[in-house]
Amino acid sequence: MRTGMRPVFDCVFTLLSAASVAFLIAALGIFLIPLCGKGMKAVVFRGTVEFRKMQSDRFNRRNEATLQNEILQTQQVRDEIYALVDHFSRGLDTQTLADQAKDLYRKYGDELRSRDLSRQQFADLRAAAKDIRDHLLAAFDSTDKAVVEEHLDAIEGLRHQPGFEKTPVETMFRLADDFREMIQKVDLSRREEYAEELAAVNKELFALFGPRPGQQRVLAMESYGATRWDVAQKHLRYLIWQEKWVPSPDGQTLQKVLIRRDDPEKGSFAKTELAPLFGLIEKNLAAALNPRLTFYWQYFIDDSTPGHYFGGVGPELLGTLMLTLLAMCFAVPLGIISAAYLVEYAGDNLAVRMIRICINTLAGVPSIVYGLFGLAFFVHYITKQPCILSASLTLALLVLPVIIRAAEEAIRAVPQSYREAAVGLGAGKFRTFATVTLPAAGPGILTGIILSVSRAAGETAPILFAGAVALGPVPNFTGKWWFQPTRALSYGCYDITVGDKLAAMVPHNQFGMVMTLIILVVCLNITAILIRMRLSKKLRGG
Amino acid sequence: MKDSSTQSVQKQQAGVFEFARPLCLTATEDFRGFIAAHLGQGLLFVTASISVLAVFLIFFFVIGQSLPFFLNRGLAESVPRIKEFLTSTQWYPQRQAGPEYGARAIIIGSLYVTVCSLMLAVPIGLLAAIFLSDIAPFGLRQFCKPVIEILAAIPSVAYGVFAVMVLAPWMQNTLGFSSGTNALNASLILSVMALPTIISVAEDALSAAGRDIREASYALGATRAETMLLVVLPAAHSGIVAAIILGMMRAVGETMVVWMASGNASRIPSPWWDLSQSVRTLTATIAGELGEVPKNTDHYHVLFAIGLLLLVFTFGLNMCSEYFMGQFRKITGRR
Repeated sequence: MRTGMRPVFDCVFTLLSAASVAFLIAALGIFLIPLCGKGMKAVVFRGTVEFRKMQSDRFNRRNEATLQNEILQTQQVRDEIYALVDHFSRGLDTQTLADQAKDLYRKYGDELRSRDLSRQQFADLRAAAKDIRDHLLAAFDSTDKAVVEEHLDAIEGLRHQPGFEKTPVETMFRLADDFREMIQKVDLSRREEYAEELAAVNKELFALFGPRPGQQRVLAMESYGATRWDVAQKHLRYLIWQEKWVPSPDGQTLQKVLIRRDDPEKGSFAKTELAPLFGLIEKNLAAALNPRLTFYWQYFIDDSTPGHYFGGVGPELLGTLMLTLLAMCFAVPLGIISAAYLVEYAGDNLAVRMIRICINTLAGVPSIVYGLFGLAFFVHYITKQPCILSASLTLALLVLPVIIRAAEEAIRAVPQSYREAAVGLGAGKFRTFATVTLPAAGPGILTGIILSVSRAAGETAPILFAGAVALGPVPNFTGKWWFQPTRALSYGCYDITVGDKLAAMVPHNQFGMVMTLIILVVCLNITAILIRMRLSKKLRGG
Repeated sequence: MKDSSTQSVQKQQAGVFEFARPLCLTATEDFRGFIAAHLGQGLLFVTASISVLAVFLIFFFVIGQSLPFFLNRGLAESVPRIKEFLTSTQWYPQRQAGPEYGARAIIIGSLYVTVCSLMLAVPIGLLAAIFLSDIAPFGLRQFCKPVIEILAAIPSVAYGVFAVMVLAPWMQNTLGFSSGTNALNASLILSVMALPTIISVAEDALSAAGRDIREASYALGATRAETMLLVVLPAAHSGIVAAIILGMMRAVGETMVVWMASGNASRIPSPWWDLSQSVRTLTATIAGELGEVPKNTDHYHVLFAIGLLLLVFTFGLNMCSEYFMGQFRKITGRR
């Protein structure tokens, strides 16, 4: 029995081992595909005319003639939609109507005052106008059709009184007429509900098309409609489908159902004048937004609007490069010299063993402890404020052991015969190292440097307190640039996913930033791997 | 010029050699060279010692900044701070009236997540290392190596984003957890992050265990599974232990993933096997709170105390792994 089980066990073992490697590869796939796939949407997507407007306003990238032409064309389609909504909302939005009535009454009062009238006449006219206004307000306020008609009839009775021709009161009469027309079509008892739904529709329309012409908005995120076709479709869905909570069949819980707003049976705008709107938008959305496949490569250089709502990751990328390169300036010479000492000069005494232990310890120190140290030493004692320099020094310390180990290995891998040849030609120890060993070890050291660049670019914890900020000016090289804090990709990734509430509304930008970081790191790693492959081929004599 | 060269040629023909510089160094030159070589070596030594200096500075500052926490004692406090720090689970450093600094729940949270992640990472890592060192054909190994390297190189914050944006919603919606950011989420991601370390060190250990013992085992009729599990693994055990310790160090010291994915609730999971609860780790506590703490307050110092705890812990682990690596080198060296 046991003997029979042995091959089976062997087979199972092999399969399990293969499965664990498959798991590893799958893990990389599961990890990279969603992040990069969704991140790519920040760069390649179907941009609408709103996107091009935004690019033209914020980043000065435009083709004036085409853009204006495009805006005109889309505006025509939009106007049709707006007209429908406006017509419907006129009767519904009683608050606006009431304000209008009050305003007209006030205007009429002013007009009366400027006219040359006796006191009695003035009082009469004014009282009549006030009467009309009050009737109007009452009519707007009521939800009972009979009551409304009663008030409107009362206004009708006052219409033929002299003295109202060509005054604001005439407009009041027109309001009353419109309203009478309106109540024939709208179920007044559901007016509240209509108003609420209409507000929702208007909100989605705003999200789709942005502010109407003439409206000015301060915030960048409110100045444009849906800049992307996928976002537009999302809002279209919200616009057309209404969420309702209805009791589920078991009567205990509520369940969510989606109902089309223009559904003839249950839709909230069924049998109203607004019902055709939804079909119209659905049909004409493409014409109103004019989506076009856009390759937004400027994502990697553009600044972003607050909350990363629009724009790209330019400052973050630049900040990361600044931090990393400055860190390398400190770490690379130190690392190579240390490695050279350890390989070429050091014997096996206590001091050298101490150095080795310390390098290993340094490699094992958790990154957050580097952050603590960076704050306690570099920030508080050297730079006095969180800035690029302190962050770079912290990162340099972090990658120092990586560089030392890589350089040590590379220098050790140089065949002894090279050194012997150099010494045989009369070169001293230093000259041998500088002119023969170091160039021969160059590619290996370069691999180590590239890997540590990728490590430094990705680390977040050490720079949390030492100079990374979520919002800041675009890094620049003017003045004492090393004494200012900077944005960085790694910290930005954290902030955009966890810290920033606004960014949660634009997931493509969240993923886009992570994708940028991953691409940066993975490209550096692939470069290193390729260099190493060429190197090992060369060493094998290929 | 021409004249002198013809002259030297003539001299050479005559059997007399003339060098541009004298073959013997003068005493001053010799001395200068000696000084330069030794000074240079001294300079190199000093440069190499910077890492020693760095380690000392790190210890100095982390200890120096955390000492005030243990030494300052409010009048009302009856228990010593260090006892409170290690045994109490009440972590309320921000409370106005009587802040409490009990880090036990946080320490246990850190260990909890680490152990959970290792439970997944160690078996998979060892099996993968065995596969790569003994089973996989050369081409597949050439393909897997870069995969592992890239897995190791992906920044921890990217893993964190994955945990928050992809894994957490999936757990919440598909698995029906009340919160997507929990101990399971953090452990899963941590195990993937610890895998590359474990695999690469363990694979080195397995490869270094030698061909001869494998061949001896096969010659006795053992199957591959038996050879690997009963012969090679025991032979390479010190290297394997070092691999596991290094993986553990990676998991303990990881900050961004646990900060983003673990939920950050400072309590001990109960019941203890319930992975769907939120935990908080040492690293996440520092990362989350240090940014808002004024300098030189008790809260500031206690965060350094946490850092010290981490530092001591990883230092101890590092020493262990050094010991096992040394053992391993001794064994393979002798063979």
